[in-house]
Amino acid sequence: MRQGLDRSMGEGSRGSGGLSLGKRYWRSLEELAASPAFRERIQQEFPELAEELVAPATRRSILKVMAASLALAGLTACRWPKERIMPFAYRPEGYVPGVPQHFATALELGGAALGVLVKSYDGRPIKVEGNPAHPSSLGAATAWAQAAVLEMYDPERSTTLVRREGGQRRVPTWDDFLALATEHAASLQASGGAGFAVLAEATSSPTVLALKNRLEEQFPRGLWVEYEPVSRDFERTGLAQAFGGPVRPRLHLERAQVIVGLESDLLFGHPEGLRHARHWGAARRAEGGTMPRMYAAEALLTVTGAAADHRLALPAGHMGALLRQLAHELARAGLALPAGWGAEAFAPGSPEARFAALAAGDLLQARPHGLVVVGPAQPPEVHALAAGLNEALGAVGTTVSYLPDPEPGRRSHLDGIARLAAALAEGTVQALWILGGNPAWDAPAELDFARLLAACPQTVHLSLYDNETSQLCRWHLPRAHPLESWGDARAWDGTVSVVQPLIEPLYGGRTLAEVLAALLGEAALSAHDLTRRTFAQQWGGGDEGWRRALSDGVVANSAWAPLRPRLNPEAVEAAARGLELPPAGGQELVLHPDACLHDGRFANNGWLQELPDPITTLTWDNAATLSPEDAQNHKVRHGDVVRLSAGGRSVEAPVLVVPGQARGVVGLALGFGRQAGGRVAAGAGINAYPLRTAAAPWAVRGVHVERTGRRRLLATAQDHHVIDTLGMAERGRRVGSLIREASLAAYRANPEFARNTAWAKARPLWKEIEFKGEHQWGMAIDLSACIGCGACTIACQAENNIPVVGRKQVANGREMHWIRVDRYFAGDPADPEVRFQPMPCQHCENAPCESVCPVAATVHSEEGLNQMVYNRCVGTRYCSNNCPYKVRRFNFFNNFKGVSPTTRMAFNPEVTVRGRGVMEKCTFCIQRIETARIAAKNERRPLRDGDIVPACAQTCPTRAIVFGDLKDPDSEVSRLHRHPRAYGILEELFTRPRTLYLAKLTNPAAPAGEGEASS
Amino acid sequence: MKSVDEPGRFVFPAWANLIRPALAIVLVTLPAYLVVLVWLGGSPKTTDVGYRPEQPVPFSHALHAGQLGMDCRYCHTTVERAAFAAIPPTQTCMNCHKQVRANSPRLLPVRESYASGLPIPWVKVHDLPDYAYFNHSAHLRAGVGCASCHGRVDTMEVVQQVHTLSMGWCLDCHRNPDPHLRPPELVTVMDWVAPGDPAEHGRRLREAAGIKPSVDCWTCHR
Amino acid sequence: MSAVPLDLDNTLERPGERAPLVLGKSDLASITEQVCEIAERPRPSREWWLAFGTSASLTLVLFAMLGYLFWTGLGVWGINQPVAWGFAIINFVFWVGIGHAGTLISAILFLFRQKWRTSINRFAEAMTIFAVICAGLFPAIHVGRPWFEYWLAPLPNQMQMWPNFRSPLLWDVFAVSTYFTVSLMFWYMGMVPDLATLRDRARSKIRQIAYGIAALGWRGSGRHWHRYERAYLLLAALATPLVLSVHSVVSFDFAVSQLPGWHATIFPPYFVAGAIFSGFAMVLTLLIPVRRIFRLESLITPRHLDNMAKIILATGSMVGYSYIIEFFIAWYSGNPYESFTFLNRALGPYAWSYWIMFTCNAIIPQLLWFKRFRQTPGLLLVISIFVNIGMWFERFVIVVTSLSRDFLPSSWGVYWPTWVDLLTFLGSFGLFFTLFLLFLRFLPIVAMAEVKSVVPAAGLELGPHRGHGQYWGEIPHQHDEENER
Repeated sequence: MRQGLDRSMGEGSRGSGGLSLGKRYWRSLEELAASPAFRERIQQEFPELAEELVAPATRRSILKVMAASLALAGLTACRWPKERIMPFAYRPEGYVPGVPQHFATALELGGAALGVLVKSYDGRPIKVEGNPAHPSSLGAATAWAQAAVLEMYDPERSTTLVRREGGQRRVPTWDDFLALATEHAASLQASGGAGFAVLAEATSSPTVLALKNRLEEQFPRGLWVEYEPVSRDFERTGLAQAFGGPVRPRLHLERAQVIVGLESDLLFGHPEGLRHARHWGAARRAEGGTMPRMYAAEALLTVTGAAADHRLALPAGHMGALLRQLAHELARAGLALPAGWGAEAFAPGSPEARFAALAAGDLLQARPHGLVVVGPAQPPEVHALAAGLNEALGAVGTTVSYLPDPEPGRRSHLDGIARLAAALAEGTVQALWILGGNPAWDAPAELDFARLLAACPQTVHLSLYDNETSQLCRWHLPRAHPLESWGDARAWDGTVSVVQPLIEPLYGGRTLAEVLAALLGEAALSAHDLTRRTFAQQWGGGDEGWRRALSDGVVANSAWAPLRPRLNPEAVEAAARGLELPPAGGQELVLHPDACLHDGRFANNGWLQELPDPITTLTWDNAATLSPEDAQNHKVRHGDVVRLSAGGRSVEAPVLVVPGQARGVVGLALGFGRQAGGRVAAGAGINAYPLRTAAAPWAVRGVHVERTGRRRLLATAQDHHVIDTLGMAERGRRVGSLIREASLAAYRANPEFARNTAWAKARPLWKEIEFKGEHQWGMAIDLSACIGCGACTIACQAENNIPVVGRKQVANGREMHWIRVDRYFAGDPADPEVRFQPMPCQHCENAPCESVCPVAATVHSEEGLNQMVYNRCVGTRYCSNNCPYKVRRFNFFNNFKGVSPTTRMAFNPEVTVRGRGVMEKCTFCIQRIETARIAAKNERRPLRDGDIVPACAQTCPTRAIVFGDLKDPDSEVSRLHRHPRAYGILEELFTRPRTLYLAKLTNPAAPAGEGEASS
Repeated sequence: MKSVDEPGRFVFPAWANLIRPALAIVLVTLPAYLVVLVWLGGSPKTTDVGYRPEQPVPFSHALHAGQLGMDCRYCHTTVERAAFAAIPPTQTCMNCHKQVRANSPRLLPVRESYASGLPIPWVKVHDLPDYAYFNHSAHLRAGVGCASCHGRVDTMEVVQQVHTLSMGWCLDCHRNPDPHLRPPELVTVMDWVAPGDPAEHGRRLREAAGIKPSVDCWTCHR
Repeated sequence: MSAVPLDLDNTLERPGERAPLVLGKSDLASITEQVCEIAERPRPSREWWLAFGTSASLTLVLFAMLGYLFWTGLGVWGINQPVAWGFAIINFVFWVGIGHAGTLISAILFLFRQKWRTSINRFAEAMTIFAVICAGLFPAIHVGRPWFEYWLAPLPNQMQMWPNFRSPLLWDVFAVSTYFTVSLMFWYMGMVPDLATLRDRARSKIRQIAYGIAALGWRGSGRHWHRYERAYLLLAALATPLVLSVHSVVSFDFAVSQLPGWHATIFPPYFVAGAIFSGFAMVLTLLIPVRRIFRLESLITPRHLDNMAKIILATGSMVGYSYIIEFFIAWYSGNPYESFTFLNRALGPYAWSYWIMFTCNAIIPQLLWFKRFRQTPGLLLVISIFVNIGMWFERFVIVVTSLSRDFLPSSWGVYWPTWVDLLTFLGSFGLFFTLFLLFLRFLPIVAMAEVKSVVPAAGLELGPHRGHGQYWGEIPHQHDEENER
């Protein structure tokens, strides 16, 4: 349903007509339509629609929600409550009530766009999915992108402008602000912008860029600074050193055979992580008989490190030296390198040396198909050297290509904020406009930005929340959420997407572009106008092109053409010479963006707070992660609170022991401990920013760790308690059979390794049930492809109205996720192997849960689905006891009690909202099965393979999850069920799961010496 | 201990002997009575059938669908494509009522809605529980006539519920659809009767169209 | 009137002569007097009030907890994933177990002509009824949506849905309710003659009417006795298989599932033995103080204690044997999950509970090999209390340790009860003792009519045994049981 997209604008806006007053929509509709504010905004935003807009399309849905809440409130007559049907007065052309539509748009994080499709139900966006046409998405979506829906409906988003003067708080209107803006602009004209500064969050929006340039023309003496606490500027600077100008690297894992990553979380913590993961997952299946090999050196255990074949745990500060060691080995193995690049930093025979030697050997084999990647937290010099090595290997053009930097002139984020702070300190800035971001909270600690900000005479802050920064500013402006606003954005590779609203701003927020426009005397122009103007100027194509861009979600061929920058070996050598081993001893603190909350902007999002960290499975908290040895040395255990102090500042965090973390390293995630983050964020974790300085933003050396004697209960989704040695041993014994794996070589030798078990051959004593349905649904999950990112969990949560239960309940093992990602460590705790296993309901053919339910609330369907019927369930929980996979989830409370009416609008109407006291579990997205089935029947055609895609499979970056009809021998899932690697988990119980796993393949190099190539 | 012939020795008068038989009768009849009461009183036949709320506009299906013979789909346009048979927008009414009865007082709410753009708050008559997911398009395609569930709407001045719409009622048809099937193109014909034996006629239709109504829980509950 | 010395050791088995079951000066009248007097005291002792006050307020606590539970949801308990069953089920099995002694004593021992049962059966049956009431409470409240419990009953309905007869929980519903009904009838019927006695002795009108109604117009005529005995025999025969069936069915709740530590064929006998074990222990726990307080030493003699102690010793040893055999099977089956579960019970996080259970149930009862422990009421009381504790922990071990660590290590968890769990458990004791104290206050706590049949004065101890229930010499014997069977 993506055609007719300029209507989509209508939809969005119409839809929102009602919702724009979301915060009080339960008042009478007359009042709503009548309210002058409402009419007035319509007039200026969509004059052409003003008339129609008086009939908000979503009133139906609003009334639905009202009816629902009435029912919840139990205001029931003797019969159930009298429901009213509110039809449109004017139904939009070709619009079918109750049939969801998809609209293409884009979400931006740290200046890189992710193209998404948003499912809209009667004018309410309810789900974000990846856009297959978008280069950074390829159909997948990250957790944060999918959680954007919840963010948009967050009742705690700022709903009004706020004016803070001398301790008192007033609520002005947008007109008041526009007045200020025009008057301000006038005064600036005179001074040429002296004393005026803008602090903007990173954005790739061409519109904003254009406005920025005009602003700089008009006010040449003004100061424009961009700041992101989590940025890739080190990479940018490093490549600028190597190539004499900033370029943006783009990786092509589809062509890589050997990847050497230093602190590079390229499968997860990268703007193009989804794309990387897709190509990685495709290659690791070894369908062609070969698969790439990855070497990862990292301080903390990351998703990428877990996927690597060889992993070296090494403090972040040692990476430079390691890279030189690698260069040294490459040179020794015969790669022509300038003398100064390599250096023998590690003793021969040391793990580091062996790692480097192995990697060098493989890289030389792969040459152009080799790739050296360095993470954004590494200093520029390391990036420069890495670029040099890629050049020397001839990888440029195959595994890595360089694109132009969107803003070559831009100051790096850290310089920028420092420069601004200095200006504020001198008092040369009288007016500071902060557009997005939360610098008062996340600026480098030593700048003491909050104090400077409070001292500045005129400060304006545009943001989604009335957050830490807003509270120090004179003006706070509510920002329109990306799902509510018009705009544009560029992907990492430059592809342009138009951002279109799914709904009118719930709380009357405005976009960054609109605020800038106001300053440029274009207050009259809506975000829509501004975007279309830029579009017309840059891409032309008229209405047709515009429609196309809207419906595709991308502007055709708008990606940047790759450059062929010339490498400057001397510069690289200069950079390399600086890379020495830091003095031994001393603890290193490694700060990192949280896997779910990023830099903290998502802290008020329940879905992301409760999404377990892929490695630690920690929820609702961050923790000081330590390696087992260090934990022993410091005499601390899981949950002990320690004080971490560096540079005179200190924070207190609970300890979490993580196998595989480098010794001498403490890891701590940013993004937690918000002071003004909202009710959800309150009390979640501790704030790590006080330890973060511009000089050492990522790796802080010489941090001091001391025990406080206090303890904190950490809510991990797994290992709900410190596990005893007996349990440890047993777990170790079981992992092997739960997650079957083999090296590529072993697999070639014995492809059936996963199936050749005694049980697989055994036959049950009883007659097996045969199913008569015309389809037989099944699933296959490829453990070779799965990287454990957890995107499936969020997709499922959004699709199936899965509640958030909160910290205390998770700690008590009551999380509700229908698909969890089991994480196991195997082998030596110092250098463990990490294994992931997504665990949805297995839909056993002999389901143990079914025989024990006294009221037959869970029974089998003719199509082999293990059905759970909420409205029949009385809640004995016997099924859960008897489920060997423990995938059933029980509603111990009414988990939706506290949920605000606004948030209820994010519910998927196709799925029952479960009440208190009933069991629930994965349904293979039955609502999608039924929808597809009925659609096919109505079109008088058979169901095709791929018609039905469950939410988890749809969003999986590596396409590890496949769903389909086992009765159709040609379906993808049938093929995978026949695959030699396919096996059923706990097959000895004869539960006959309909979900089969494909055994994991690894590709370790043969022991050093005869290092044979990966392919 | 009192001796046997002492007067006033008996606590209970003679009629106390009647209590036991009386009790017996009560114990037998009372439960029976209660069962019957709950059975009849609680059944959807009593609670739901005949539900006949007053609508904001006294719209007469008898007039429009009956006398004027308008097809159901003229107003309920989405019924073949979607789960919901959408209630028509005010526009649809005004298509005719701009001219016809242009200023009848009974149509005032319609005109108001048309002017203000606010919807007419119709009362839902056929109201399934929220956990039951019914899809109109699927049933129409299979050839279940409107009348099969909604009754002879074309004779109703005020629409009322004629069937229980209870789970058992749905299952009866899902288990044995034949008597209720008709050629899909005739679903909206209100007075349609099967030529010959409905079951036999339906069986042929079912086999021809390969209709396999499912009785799996998840067909309706998710 | 013959008088057996009160301090006579009637526990010895002397060949050729039957040990007296009633000591002291006990003719028919004195027995009536002794027993009825308890129910006829004008006002109960201060101790009674104290006990009653405490247990009644505990009962109130129970109801408060239930209110809170129904208002808020099962989350107020400690249960979670994976341990979805907790205190509720533990307490259920515990109380059902206790509810076993009564019917065993009154039915099985009756059929086996264990005449010593007469002094204690009334008492034991009462305890059974009250225990089963407490037991029945827990399954009823432990479900997520109690207001839909009637779906467990096979009632025709518009959904055309039936309960799932494959589910052990459903069998439970039938087994426990049947057991309760039969036990209740058995108890009440046995009480009718005694109620009549109380009625006849009653001074106040209210008592006359109350007991009168309860006595169902019993006049003690020959026909009454005749019918009474037949019915009693019949019910005994009915109740006997139930004694075995109930706990077997309860054990199916676990045995039928496939959880390591639950999925075991040994469960039914093991549970029945355990139930009798705990039942007798509870009888002793209550009997010994009551015997002392109400001066019933002459009716409830050392021989009674001795016999019960022997049964406890026997069943306790069976239970201990089961514990050991479970380990053997776990090892011998070669099932890795099974063997880990039992290792984990003995050495895992919940090892403490396992060892409490083992000590209380398998080791301490072994003391009963010594006469001294069997016949010193004080020591016996202590042991019986240990057994009660141990049997509660047995259920804790079975339910919690098995669930907390099953197949996938990823979903292992821990379970701790909340204060609501604990107070609810405590409250169930409140309910139990409230009912029990009311029983002590208002009903004949010893089956007078039956005891009378075993006192020398009844003249029945002479000559060949004539079966049960011939009380008054003047009643002509219309039947002879041997021929009837």
